[in-house]
Amino acid sequence: MPEGRAQRPRRSLEAVEVHGAGQLMPHHVHEILLVSSLYDSFTLSEDGKLSDLIMSEFLDMNLRHTPGVTQVSTGREALQLARANPRFNLIITSLQVGDMDSLELARRVKELRLNIPVILLAYDNRELTQFMAANDTSDLERAFLWQGNAKILLGIVKYVEDRLNLSHDTGEIGVPAIIVVEDNVRYYSAFLPMLFTELMNHARDLIPDGLNLAHKIRRIRARPKILLCSTYEEAVSFFDRYPDDILGVISDIEFPRNGKLSHTAGGDLARHVRSIREDVPVILQSSLTKNQELADEVGSSFLLKGSPLMLNQLRRTLQHDLGFGDFSFRMPDGREIGRAGNLRSLAQQIREAPDDSMVFHGEHNHFSRWLKVRTEFALAEQLRAVRISDFPSVGAMRDYLAGVIDVYRRERNQGVVVDFKRENYDASAQFYRIGGGSLGGKARGLAFINHLLAEFKAADRFPGVTITVPDTVVLGSDVFDTFLDRNNLRDFAISCDDQDEIMETFHRSPFPEDTLLDLATYLKAADYPLAVRSSSLLEDSQYQPFAGVYETYMLPNRGTDLNHRLEQLVSAIKRVYASTYSIHTKRYIKATPYRLEEEKMAVAIQRIIGDHHGSRFYPHFSGVARSHNYYPAEPCTTEDGVAAVALGLGETVVSGENCVRFSPRYPKHLMQFATTEDLLEHSQKTFWALELEEDHISISGVPALSEGGPETNIRLAKFGLEQAEKDGTLASVGSTWSAENDVVYDGTSRPGMRMVTFAPILKHQLFPLAEILDYLLEIGKKGTSSPVEIEFAVNMNTVDGGSREFGFLQIRPLALAPEVEEVDVDSIPRSDQVCQSTSVLGHGLVEGIRDLVVVDYHRFDRSKSLPAARRVGQLNSMLVKEDRPYILIGVGRWGSADPWLGIPVAWDEISGVRVIVEAGFKDFKVTPSQGTHFFQNLSSCNVGYFTVNPDAGDGYIDWDWLSSTPAVDETDSVRHLRFEEPLLVGMNGKKSAGFICKPKR
Amino acid sequence: MSDFVKSLMADVTAKNEAQPEFHQAVEEVAGSVQVVLDRHPEYRSNKILERIIEPERVLMFRVPWVNDQGEVQINRGFRIEMNSAIGPYKGGLRFHPSVNLGILKFLAFEQVFKNALTTLPMGGGKGGSDFDPKGKSDQEVMRFCQSFMTELQRHIGPNTDVPAGDIGVGGREIGFLFGQYKRLRNEFTGVLTGKGLNWGGSLIRPEATGYGAVYFAAEMLKTRSDSLQGKTCLVSGSGNVAQYATEKINELGGKVVTLSDSGGYIYDPEGIDAEKLAWVMDLKNVRRGRMSEYSGQFKSATYTEVDRSLDHNPLWAHKADCAFPSATQNEVNAVDAKNLLAGGVFVFSEGANMPTTQDGVDQFLDKGILYGPGKAANAGGVAVSGLEMSQNSLRMSWSREEVDGHLKRIMTDIHQNCVTTAERFGMKGNYVAGANIAGFLKVADAMTDQGVV
Repeated sequence: MPEGRAQRPRRSLEAVEVHGAGQLMPHHVHEILLVSSLYDSFTLSEDGKLSDLIMSEFLDMNLRHTPGVTQVSTGREALQLARANPRFNLIITSLQVGDMDSLELARRVKELRLNIPVILLAYDNRELTQFMAANDTSDLERAFLWQGNAKILLGIVKYVEDRLNLSHDTGEIGVPAIIVVEDNVRYYSAFLPMLFTELMNHARDLIPDGLNLAHKIRRIRARPKILLCSTYEEAVSFFDRYPDDILGVISDIEFPRNGKLSHTAGGDLARHVRSIREDVPVILQSSLTKNQELADEVGSSFLLKGSPLMLNQLRRTLQHDLGFGDFSFRMPDGREIGRAGNLRSLAQQIREAPDDSMVFHGEHNHFSRWLKVRTEFALAEQLRAVRISDFPSVGAMRDYLAGVIDVYRRERNQGVVVDFKRENYDASAQFYRIGGGSLGGKARGLAFINHLLAEFKAADRFPGVTITVPDTVVLGSDVFDTFLDRNNLRDFAISCDDQDEIMETFHRSPFPEDTLLDLATYLKAADYPLAVRSSSLLEDSQYQPFAGVYETYMLPNRGTDLNHRLEQLVSAIKRVYASTYSIHTKRYIKATPYRLEEEKMAVAIQRIIGDHHGSRFYPHFSGVARSHNYYPAEPCTTEDGVAAVALGLGETVVSGENCVRFSPRYPKHLMQFATTEDLLEHSQKTFWALELEEDHISISGVPALSEGGPETNIRLAKFGLEQAEKDGTLASVGSTWSAENDVVYDGTSRPGMRMVTFAPILKHQLFPLAEILDYLLEIGKKGTSSPVEIEFAVNMNTVDGGSREFGFLQIRPLALAPEVEEVDVDSIPRSDQVCQSTSVLGHGLVEGIRDLVVVDYHRFDRSKSLPAARRVGQLNSMLVKEDRPYILIGVGRWGSADPWLGIPVAWDEISGVRVIVEAGFKDFKVTPSQGTHFFQNLSSCNVGYFTVNPDAGDGYIDWDWLSSTPAVDETDSVRHLRFEEPLLVGMNGKKSAGFICKPKR
Repeated sequence: MSDFVKSLMADVTAKNEAQPEFHQAVEEVAGSVQVVLDRHPEYRSNKILERIIEPERVLMFRVPWVNDQGEVQINRGFRIEMNSAIGPYKGGLRFHPSVNLGILKFLAFEQVFKNALTTLPMGGGKGGSDFDPKGKSDQEVMRFCQSFMTELQRHIGPNTDVPAGDIGVGGREIGFLFGQYKRLRNEFTGVLTGKGLNWGGSLIRPEATGYGAVYFAAEMLKTRSDSLQGKTCLVSGSGNVAQYATEKINELGGKVVTLSDSGGYIYDPEGIDAEKLAWVMDLKNVRRGRMSEYSGQFKSATYTEVDRSLDHNPLWAHKADCAFPSATQNEVNAVDAKNLLAGGVFVFSEGANMPTTQDGVDQFLDKGILYGPGKAANAGGVAVSGLEMSQNSLRMSWSREEVDGHLKRIMTDIHQNCVTTAERFGMKGNYVAGANIAGFLKVADAMTDQGVV
């Protein structure tokens, strides 16, 4: 962009919402306390019941917050109620309220520090004028005059809200405001409701531009504010505070200045405004036609008060001067040459309009103002900073403006959930929803990522890589409800224990017709393989990880027969629905505080990231990354996170097969690949892909799905690396082992055995994977305020040289065990602890362990470590058979290859262990072993791992207690202890600290 | 234990505090050569044993380097130049956090006799560092290797000390070390073994140990005018040693009926022929699959899963003539030995390192079967290291056949050496005693010849 002026950083409306704190209109009038005599209230409700009246006004305006009204007839009652219920945040009172007058009420409210604005609503202008003239009314927020139009209530409420929200909405976010200067109560009591109504109508007209309900509400809330002032000083102070955000000034001509009525105040104000912001329009109004001249003199428009055409005049003024309605392209002489009703047509006409017109609008800042009125604050701000003089030519300005608007339009469509409309579906947005209700946990996560990416403008952050949420359509939970209710399936599904019967019944039941039509429309444009994923209400909830309880189905979605594809899709959706009632789920839910009746299922239908390679379809690689790593190894810390990646579909990672693990902050430090043997043993040998060959698996819809069984992801197939090499996908992640030299070479340029190491990416900058993951984990943490786990897939698209795609598939807050953080290790008496360490891997509380296998410090002889290892192995197989997890405590390194340094057990000899403790021996200190096998198994089995060196002052272990506790089995130094009461293990992964408590006696 | 060994051990313990591994190694050697010392007083008076347990030179040095985060790291480097009586010091470099002086002395001491037994001109040594390559980036490993070699280069050379790889030092590290040596000394010489094939390495390295164990068995059979032709063989393991032992057994006319991995073993009474072996090699080397898949592929085979509650390994209970333990330490215990003997096994050649427990070995020696201890039978690996040195000195690269030919000759020599030595000391057919004494004698004689140095 050309060198502009310094500008306040502004966020788009959507951005404002993401950041919670920036919610527009934080203050709302919830409950109105109406204090009026019986007579007055009778007057008020002449047209019907007052609250109904208000309700209808507000509903008509499409407002979400409809305030409640409570009527009392005395000041005393009013004060009592206001004190008792903090929801009352507006008091509207008539002049006299039985026991006191409105002034006294206002004064008392202030004295009680209730912080509720008190508005005087008078019924008689003469009475009011006398009252105002005779009293100091500064305790009253403002006075209004009832003139038989219930819209006055709307005006009062909006007036109060605008005042309260001004500093937040306008000051911080930049919502524009219109200053109205008028000291005549009667006049502004009529004018204000009219103006508000116009603004609301305008905001409503903008709605077709908004995309979904949340978006719509935001637009309405972002309508310009109205600042009603009665004096010159008040008006000037508002203007001077928010000069950038004042859309215009509508002012009376005669009103008080310096405490006295001034005949020139309007003109002076206009001049003041002009001197600071030349482009801010000032509209003067007066009941005297002669004042037209004054208006002309100061370059203002003029409105004649009391004119029968007042409303039309006002509308015209709003459009012409303040930029409401369509944008009107004009020549400098005022001749209209074109109109633009939305951003697209604005950009288009900017490209076509004559130079003179462009200069005219540019000089007067019309584009920015118009955008601001349309609540496009970020764009408005961007354009405001631009001056014609910044550009070498009008053409350059034209290109710049149109370009900026286009970019903005594209970005605005990112990160939004768009309601699916059959009539105009064009697949242009990334995220659609069909049907109402909840999106469910998973889809909400997806929508959130979509949002996050747009908010942080992550899409283009890494050159040559597009970061996206793969195109998604979500069936809201209402579709699920409709399907169940129309087919009467709910009770049946909950009570039926036969999974197959549920599945079959669901398949037989017709799918809602309307949704079917939507899906057909969607499929016409979607000719790529699809993942049909469950998205239940309870899924991915932070403390109830339902992740993986429900099903995901992959569909080839191939072939020209739309009906056939639709049939498959619907069948998969029904399967997901049915899985809500699977035995597995029923059992799972029993263990949670939820009830199955509460569960609802939305379904996310998502494009699968990948490419066709012959009959196979798969991404170059997939993976999972976590922002926290509870098994960190030097130089990584817990906070550096950890990622696991594999060639092909993510199945490899998710099912715990061999894959590459690394910390996004240290992608070149791979724990698992220290030696060639490690590499051979722990690297990926096969990969998963979707097999799309028609004759490979029957695709006759339902039967094929049934054959797959509910636990099978149909059409998934495994291939060897030689296939990946042929497909050209291995080169980006492969290395080569030379048996002759026993060396693993990065890349696939040499002959030898291929293996997956990700070296070309992690070591040789083929793709900024580590940087992207680090970045996404960081924004994920910011966005959710908690540690997160993300799933992703990457398509390198090497065949046609197109852009590389990083698909962001899932985000989940990582379930932390908060209770451990609250346990203060030092508060537990040492005599109650078996062991305490500040070098612990793992996280969480482990309860219910009653078995302990210990290689006893006092009995152990280093030359007898082999028999000790075998004995541990025997005890392990016994304990595994009995399904009794145990704690293993020993001296030296567990799993040491060197029998002199510890107990040389293999992993399968301690497979049932839940917590491992390794302690320093008499003459040597242990360092955490983290042998590759161990490391891998520890983290995947979530085993706790304590290292203690009491002699070096590092940690504590009660060898004497372990030694003196009677054993159920004792062979040389290996002792098996069993307890009636469980031991308690606590680990804090963030602090790497932990303890083991002795059983309670 | 004789008084001499007792007093020697008291001395060793006092002088080398907190080195239990070294104490044990000295005690074992002293015990096994007792008979030599008793019979030949010149070794006593020349104080050969007292000299041989004292390293010729111990180098301990600082290895500073900078990690990827820019922090200075300090490790400790070692080189034990144990004995050069019969050739330049030769022995591996180990990079592992457990490395310390005691462990390296123990390893260097054993290396002296291992190398001597090969009949090649190689002295003994060992070295390394407490550096842990695990979790380090390539760049860090390279910087460490370069710093390590910057000091070590002034102490080694193709005619002085020729290190090789060991735990934590593979082809990658040898490459980094060699590159730095070459740069500092400005000479391309065979100063390290385990080099890349395209820059001075030798062929047949993966095959050497397995081939060697089979050659040794064939030599043992020859002493009874027998051969591997038609013999049924039990092989454990499925790594390099087991695979190439099987290949060589097939070549020499034998039939291998078992292979195993950590999950279990397969028994294929029809034999694992070349075709099946090729399948196994693909399974283990390329697909890294489990042996259990074998029985699915070949119907003649049965698979038996590991059962840790058993006190023996059923693999060794099958009827056979020969056994080649090629998996891991202590895989054959007393019960297994009994089963092997009961099953008719009379040739036992150890491809793995110390695969048999002492009570197992005792039974084999008791029954007088052809028992080739690992020390001798698996010397093939060390031998090919020696052949790499030879090729470097000759500035030649031999073909596979040439290297294999030399390997076979060396194994024959080792066997012969064991046989004659055992016989000379009245323990005919005892390859354990033969191997222990032959290695010692070769070094002891050379030391005697060269005077008190």
